Amino acid sequence: MRFLAISALAVLLLSLESVLVKSFGFEVTRIDVGLALVVFAALRLTTIEGAFSAFFVGYVLDVFTGRPTGLYPALAMLVFLLVRAAALLVDGRSRVSYLGFTAAATVLHALLAVFFTWLTSRNGSGHVQSLSGVPLQVVLTMLAGLAMWPLLKRLDSGERPEPGVLR
Amino acid sequence: MFNFLKRHRELLIVSVLLLWPLISFLTTGHRGRAPNFVDRTVLFASTPVQSLLTWGVDGVSDAVSGYVALRGSHEEALECRTELSQSQAELNALKEMQAENLRLKAMLNYSEESVDQEIVARVIGLNPSPQYLSIRINRGEDDGVRTGMPVVTPDGAVGQIVRAVGASADVMLLTDPSSRVGGLLQRTRVRSTVLGTGEGRRLAIDLVRREDDARDGDIVVTAGSDGIFPRGVRIGTLRTPERPAVGMFMKATLEPSVDFSRVEEVLVIPVTMGIPSAAMGKGTP
Repeated sequence: MRFLAISALAVLLLSLESVLVKSFGFEVTRIDVGLALVVFAALRLTTIEGAFSAFFVGYVLDVFTGRPTGLYPALAMLVFLLVRAAALLVDGRSRVSYLGFTAAATVLHALLAVFFTWLTSRNGSGHVQSLSGVPLQVVLTMLAGLAMWPLLKRLDSGERPEPGVLR
Repeated sequence: MFNFLKRHRELLIVSVLLLWPLISFLTTGHRGRAPNFVDRTVLFASTPVQSLLTWGVDGVSDAVSGYVALRGSHEEALECRTELSQSQAELNALKEMQAENLRLKAMLNYSEESVDQEIVARVIGLNPSPQYLSIRINRGEDDGVRTGMPVVTPDGAVGQIVRAVGASADVMLLTDPSSRVGGLLQRTRVRSTVLGTGEGRRLAIDLVRREDDARDGDIVVTAGSDGIFPRGVRIGTLRTPERPAVGMFMKATLEPSVDFSRVEEVLVIPVTMGIPSAAMGKGTP
């Protein structure tokens, strides 16, 4: 059920993001609303539910690029696993820690995306330019996470997941 | 076996969800796949949402800017009238040139394939990933848009259709790092290649020999040699050409004539690989 809710939210929020980014006239800066959902899935959902949710959010982002390659579902899964591993050390249940995880995930996601596109494209250095928008992207994604928090809280079952990356 | 699968269910599912797209990406690289059923479903669901949101945001923006524009509109109207008179004079001159061009072509027995009417489309969204610079438009396969068609505005070239589905299509911008377009310096007719840099307001130019005549401010247009754009569409203005001490080619950047972050409406030219779609038959990608 929560998987379906997150999937529908991903389509809606990415559509909204694409329109807002156009309206604001951003060039290489984006708002990683999808990542905010992946972080939530890693922190608050069960392994199976969270993994499918993260995969689908990445899949939708991949479709939105216009040239789906499989990069973003893979990155979403990597971020999902790393956030889950980090949550063993830091409790991610409060709003502040959720925003901290979202900021870290945005930086990590951008770096991994640039690395993998650099690895496979002819003009790899061109993709590095997208990193110039990362600082603003982190701030905007945190703001988006803050705005989404009340909505995401409603999806939270309130149960504390058992500790472990694949718990 | 069943017990093993049951015991390691989570590990297996997570591994498949991670490795399947990763291997797919590493093997197919930057090319991208053709839209499958799930892709089409996602696009089918998201396109109306984007159109509706664009309509709403633009409506509010137009209302606000309309109110602001009322202030000082008299001065603007006077300026517009002056510009209109100038444009009218230029149009007359161009009509003369067109008539002369037609006469000369007739004399040379020059035949040209007729190009279909351009498809007017509205930009409904920007791609949410900064690694691939593209926009989405509200015209797709249903309207005759096909992969590979060039997209322009009255200001100049915008990009190329990389995916078209039912009611929408995605346009790879000239600024995307994967973009390559054949260019021509309008003044000297020197050929070049225009490359995307991944930056919003800068293109790179390549393969202009260091001894060629190229100056700051030269206009670069499409050469029509890349099988994408027709000849003569404006790309941008040459900036800071440098002739390095070593090497065959000069280094220069290009200021695009289109502000890609502000583009609202575009024209899709129904030509694929330089061939008008009318000549290929409708529905042929």
